[in-house]
Amino acid sequence: MITIKVDMDKCQHYGQCVYEAPNIFKLNENDKLEYLASADETERENVKSASDICPMQAIQVFE
Amino acid sequence: MGGLRTAESLRRYKYPGHIHILGDEWHMPYNRPPLSKSLLAQDQEFAQVSFPIKSADLNTEFTLGDGVRQLSMEQQSVTLQSGKKIQFDFLVAATGLRSKKLVFPNNLQGGRFALRTFDDAKAIRQAVGSGKEVVILGSGFIGLEVAATLKGLGCRVKIVAMEDIPLGLILGEPFGEEIRRRHETKGIEFYLNNRVTDLVGNTAITHVKLVDGQSLTCDIFIEAIGSAANVEWLEGNELDLTDGLLTDSSLRAVKSNGTSVSNLFGVGDIARFPNIRFELPPRRIEHWNIPLESSRRTAREIVRQVVPGSIEGFESEDGFNPLPTFWSDQFEFSILSYGEPRLADEIRLLEGNLGEEFIFAYLREGSLVGVAGIGMKSKINEMRKDIIK
Repeated sequence: MITIKVDMDKCQHYGQCVYEAPNIFKLNENDKLEYLASADETERENVKSASDICPMQAIQVFE
Repeated sequence: MGGLRTAESLRRYKYPGHIHILGDEWHMPYNRPPLSKSLLAQDQEFAQVSFPIKSADLNTEFTLGDGVRQLSMEQQSVTLQSGKKIQFDFLVAATGLRSKKLVFPNNLQGGRFALRTFDDAKAIRQAVGSGKEVVILGSGFIGLEVAATLKGLGCRVKIVAMEDIPLGLILGEPFGEEIRRRHETKGIEFYLNNRVTDLVGNTAITHVKLVDGQSLTCDIFIEAIGSAANVEWLEGNELDLTDGLLTDSSLRAVKSNGTSVSNLFGVGDIARFPNIRFELPPRRIEHWNIPLESSRRTAREIVRQVVPGSIEGFESEDGFNPLPTFWSDQFEFSILSYGEPRLADEIRLLEGNLGEEFIFAYLREGSLVGVAGIGMKSKINEMRKDIIK
């Protein structure tokens, strides 16, 4: 399992992470980010990519 | 950033060799977008913008505060400012950009700033304060973001720019006019279709003179007129250094005679790579996602050469073809864009109203080449897949 934490003070809801890891991140109908706080190993690379691509560098991944 | 991301990707693809990152700044790699926004607004510390070193097995040597002075492809070495010489098997050029600065008849430096680095942002932050008179030269993204942030700190902010419409050439005239309207509503003053011809003052700037004869009170003068690629250290190696480092679609440097150099790569802002998506001449892209995507691609290319067959599906990989993306936060509104709107020959308001939230579609010969808007982020995100491949 991996654990995901988004610093919502930093997050600007651009949704770049949604494209990298669509099973974990989404923008809701109010354009706000929602995400799953944990995921299985198969999502590891996607979530890491999402963390890299985040303009605000708000996504942390714990393994 | 390009250097760090290349090192991370090399390790991810199991590159077996030594990695050495060289930088002219004293800081570890850091994230630049906050420099014009939160860092300036809240006077944050370096830790707030530095990239975390995420991987325990990065196993990379850093040499900071000692930039590269000269490359010798013949000797396969770089010479640093300190005179130290370093040999390489592969070299990744990720030296990025520097702010352009003008030369005025009275070329004062006191009260004069640009914004590219952490230290630049700190210097502006220390100089500004409530009631200060700020003149920003340039109405691009950095100029507009800095204007919004400094207005929020209580400064009086004027923008002088050569364009008629801020961002008009990038996002189109209606979009640009709307951005100007929003800034004016917040009290930003525009002097468009104009130029600064000279600075006035003894040791520090007190006024700037405009080409139309006006004189503007000025405590703080910020030049935001674009950037130049740091390529001087690459000279003398028969490379094409016209506006950055010309590369092929694998990001390998291209010589003046048109042949590719197998072990020299361009990553990030300095790479002028072929525009496969729109079948147009090579260009640099100064967007935040390019260092990341070009570093991944370069790392794969290096590992392919060192350990052939080690990356599944990579032998037949298509040319580097990233989808450019940018965003910008100004006051309470934020702009999001995918593709290359500036290539459009037709612009359509697709959804929403200019005064509120909206999306523009950018078409070239009838095909969608870009999408951009204010707000409506999830809809804009959905549209990125419709941009031509």
